[in-house]
Amino acid sequence: MARILVVEDEDNQRLLYRRELEDEGYEVVEASGGRQAVSLIEKGLRPDLVILDISMPDMDGIETLGKILSRDNSIPVILNTAYSTYKDNFMTWSADAYVVKSSDLTELKQKIDEVLKERSGK
Amino acid sequence: MQTLALLKGTLAVVLAGGEGQRLYPLTRDRAKPAVPFGGIYRIIDFTLSNCLNSGVRRMVVLSQYKSLSLNRHLSLGWNIFNPELGEFMEVIPPQQRTGARWYAGTADAIFQNIYTLEKIRPERVLVLSGDHIYRMDYLQMLSTHVEKDADLTISFLEVPKAEAGRFGVALVDNDDKVVAFVEKSDNPPEIPGRPGWCLASMGIYAFDTEILVRRVAEDSRKATAHDFGKNVIPDMLERGDRVFCHRFRGIQEPEGKAPYWRDIGLIDAYYDANMDLVDVVPALDLYNRDWPIRTYHEQVPPTKVVRGSNGKDGEVVSSLVADGCIISGGRVEHSVVSPLVTLMDGSVVKDSILMDRVTVGKGARVSKTILDKGVSIPDGVDVSEHKGRFTVSESGVVVIPKGTPPEVFLGR
Repeated sequence: MARILVVEDEDNQRLLYRRELEDEGYEVVEASGGRQAVSLIEKGLRPDLVILDISMPDMDGIETLGKILSRDNSIPVILNTAYSTYKDNFMTWSADAYVVKSSDLTELKQKIDEVLKERSGK
Repeated sequence: MQTLALLKGTLAVVLAGGEGQRLYPLTRDRAKPAVPFGGIYRIIDFTLSNCLNSGVRRMVVLSQYKSLSLNRHLSLGWNIFNPELGEFMEVIPPQQRTGARWYAGTADAIFQNIYTLEKIRPERVLVLSGDHIYRMDYLQMLSTHVEKDADLTISFLEVPKAEAGRFGVALVDNDDKVVAFVEKSDNPPEIPGRPGWCLASMGIYAFDTEILVRRVAEDSRKATAHDFGKNVIPDMLERGDRVFCHRFRGIQEPEGKAPYWRDIGLIDAYYDANMDLVDVVPALDLYNRDWPIRTYHEQVPPTKVVRGSNGKDGEVVSSLVADGCIISGGRVEHSVVSPLVTLMDGSVVKDSILMDRVTVGKGARVSKTILDKGVSIPDGVDVSEHKGRFTVSESGVVVIPKGTPPEVFLGR
């Protein structure tokens, strides 16, 4: 069972992700912000994938992405944001995928599946 | 494309972070690009002058180790760009935005500066090294890049196959498209139609910015050396990116001489490149006013060559002597002498490089030696008798580092 770290500052959104992803059979670990996510990785947490919000108050997703990857560049990260503008930002290009938020999680779930498959294939 | 648009859409990134361990002790207190060269220059002046002369006036210099001396030189000598005209030169130390570490390789240096590229958003990035001595019109290379609609254009030097083993070497097709790239191979591919010769990479790259960012970001996720030659370029070829060859020509090189380019990696390469300047017809002509090499030069009086108290005339033979020196009854032969050097009565300096403010005492002898800044050789000392205490290169060049106390030569 793949373990997914969900980094998201909105409580309701996090809850939604937990329910939906657990239904898909994933194990979900939550972080309510970038700092907490980095600290979990520093403490040795090795998720099979990270879903990372960009717009967060304590440390934004772009900075968090750099910090996570500098600690372990093999962890797959999917950026998940309400805005498509960040897609052109060079700083987001080291992520494995970029998914614009939607109430329907079908696309996100597909990407998770794709990225995990690609990783296990390597 | 219009020349102006081509130049304005280009950002030069000068890699100036080389630690230069193999140039020790010249790099003990300074980064490799800041090592003095040719009497009045620093190594990085050549690349920066090439940018200036080519019309590339948007540049960032990525510094790293021991950058004090480099920063000082750049702020004193290169603070000449006008932001109002869209020109700039920024010196950027590692920002550690993507991790608390120094640059792991050339591609990592670019990856760690993705934020800089995001902010400036140039169309093309010219990746240059601050460790090379050469003259090159980057506009020609940028034109090749645009004409070929390349993702990446690499500048190559044509070298005999026997010398090609220490370079990255390309195999090209009839259109000069790179079809293979091998790093430091025993049997590198030859130039089609020119047996015995190979195309050696100079580590000079023109990239389409988006491709550059994508490729270094991908490379950052892999366990590689994060090096353009070893990792990124072979990977680009494998995935079918358009990589082209630009053939380096130099600038008005003297007839019968090959285009001049030197990577200053070792003490001997450094020494030889300095000595190249002393030749009657030098392979690298500093006197060509069409392509001036600029630097920071302190205001000092003219050099004076006079009779010493021993009654002997000062003598300068086959040498480069900068301003501000006093050669009083001493002799300089086949050497490069920097500003404010003093040669006392009866001293003899031969086949040597003397940096700023060196003093050679009465009757002292210096031969095939590099005297770093401020070194003082006491009266009567023959430096060659003391070489056991100093770094000696493979070909026998002695290096006396900065700050060596004169007492060292007096047996105390």
